[in-house]
Amino acid sequence: MKKTVRLVSTLVIIASAAWLTGCTGKPTTKEAPKAMAAQVDPAVVAEGKAIAVNRKKGNCLACHMIEDEPTPGNVGPPLLAMQARYPDKAKLRAQIWDATAANPESAMVPFGRLQVLSDAEIDKIVEYIWTL
Amino acid sequence: MKIKTVLAMLVLAFGLLAGSAAVLAGGMKADAAMAADAIAKAEAARKQAASVNGEWRDTGKFIKQAQEAAKAGEHDKAVKLAKKAEQEGRLGYEQQVSQSELKIPSYLKY
Amino acid sequence: MKKILITLALLAITAVTAQAGPEEDRMAFIKYYKAKFPSVPMEEYANGVYAIDPIGRENWEAIEEFPPYEPFIDAGQAMWEKPFANGKGYKDCFPDGPAMADKYPSWDKQQGMVMTLPLALNNCLKANGEKPLKYKKGPINNILAYIAFQSRGKVINVEVPKDDPRAMAAYEDGKKFYFTRRGQLNFSCATCHLQNTGLRVRTEILSPTLGHVTGWPVYRSKWGTVGTLHRRFSGCNNNIRAKALEAQGEEYRNLEYFLTSLSNGLELNGPSARK
Ligand code: HEC
Ligand code: HEC
Repeated sequence: MKKTVRLVSTLVIIASAAWLTGCTGKPTTKEAPKAMAAQVDPAVVAEGKAIAVNRKKGNCLACHMIEDEPTPGNVGPPLLAMQARYPDKAKLRAQIWDATAANPESAMVPFGRLQVLSDAEIDKIVEYIWTL
Repeated sequence: MKIKTVLAMLVLAFGLLAGSAAVLAGGMKADAAMAADAIAKAEAARKQAASVNGEWRDTGKFIKQAQEAAKAGEHDKAVKLAKKAEQEGRLGYEQQVSQSELKIPSYLKY
Repeated sequence: MKKILITLALLAITAVTAQAGPEEDRMAFIKYYKAKFPSVPMEEYANGVYAIDPIGRENWEAIEEFPPYEPFIDAGQAMWEKPFANGKGYKDCFPDGPAMADKYPSWDKQQGMVMTLPLALNNCLKANGEKPLKYKKGPINNILAYIAFQSRGKVINVEVPKDDPRAMAAYEDGKKFYFTRRGQLNFSCATCHLQNTGLRVRTEILSPTLGHVTGWPVYRSKWGTVGTLHRRFSGCNNNIRAKALEAQGEEYRNLEYFLTSLSNGLELNGPSARK
């Protein structure tokens, strides 16, 4: 049931985003429309999830609650409703790549800048986080 | 028609790129000298980071692994590990240098 | 005239905040934690994370009923009393007796460095032709446990003497270390123990820096034995993927100087037990 609700809301967001870009005719970024149009491969999402929860990789649970995942910390906010709050995937990616760029006092690990994760790994995590 | 032409050109361009990359990669097999060079660079970067107390935990371990790989004749692996260690050394050094001035965070109010 | 005086006074005040000394730092930390944990009394900070973790505290109090560090205190007492090969002993180096943990760390003007208790103990050993002890694990923890136990209830009172600018430089160095991000994970001590104190990394609640130095050596269940403060520094450095620095090296001693000064006014209560 929850899954269905999520799916429907996802579709609504995608549809409205597509409609919006279609209407104005000028996409804000190069990435966004492409990413939204493309069906996200569930295998990529699964890989992203594996990297995100792995303690030696993303270890996002050290600081973030993620629904149905065990022993989360609370240094950062819960990761939920990500699509609605981050319609622009690039912004989400930037937060994960280097949170200190936007907020120099951020406690979040700059996963990309300090090469904790590779760019390809971060891309996969973004796909996963975006499904939350 | 137009789209097809563009597509064809794209395919051609990518094919060429991929091909030349493969050739390049094939020709770039690391040898003992390249491994030794990469390891020396990594060690220098590690030392520079250590000079400002900025060395990371695993940098030395990667260099050791690179040395072992080189000894075993696995030069590609050695170069890869050494490059990673060199990056870490560089990043660890920059991390400290960028904070050479003490800045009290805004959440601590005097 | 009055106006000039007021201006001068104001200038003096701004100068103080711009170049905060040990006492200003301590007050700022206290203010910060008081705002975050208004119901926690000052003396509670000597209990580390258990000052702010009521659930962990129950468990901890149960452990303290049968203190796991007790055998180490006894072993330490034996060390204290046993003469060296030359017939002398710790008693000769420290004639005021073992209740002396509150005298450290202190500024050693002659050597121009921060003197810590473990360093002083090893200096005593070396001066008497004995082998110095390792600084993180092993028997140093026994003698430290005995001294800590004898020093319980003494009040921390670190002084940064004004007549030697090198002392303030050492203090500032420790402060800088505390606030500097390091390691691949890019944390400073402040990130965890100040900015995010009380929050959880996984299941681990982050303790306040105030009181971090009162209870050493610590018996940690994870270690299965007692360990030194500098062993803990190494551990916290390692967790953020920074290479740990040398125990009792200048950086960690200066850090200890800064941290202990922040805890001025708290009672020593070592040895203690932690998860
Ligand atoms: C050390 C703690 C820590 C870790 C580990 C961490 N984060 Fe964060 N994260 C934070 C904090 C703190 C914030 C709050 C914003 C800020 O300070 O940058 C945050 C914010 C975020 C946000 C924005 C949330 C919002 O509501 O806007 C996202 C998305 C995010 N993190 C994703 C991740 C992912 C994905 C990982 C794992 C790869 C991760 N974080 C690991 C601490 C952490
Ligand atoms: C990633 C977060 C993190 C960072 C960064 C960190 N620590 Fe810790 N530290 C912990 C955790 C978790 C514990 C165990 C629970 C507790 O007491 O907070 C701990 C415990 C300690 C303790 C033991 C407290 C006690 O009562 O036994 C000391 C002392 C300490 N840290 C000092 C430091 C110092 C000094 C630094 C900077 C060099 C530092 N920590 C950096 C997470 C961190």
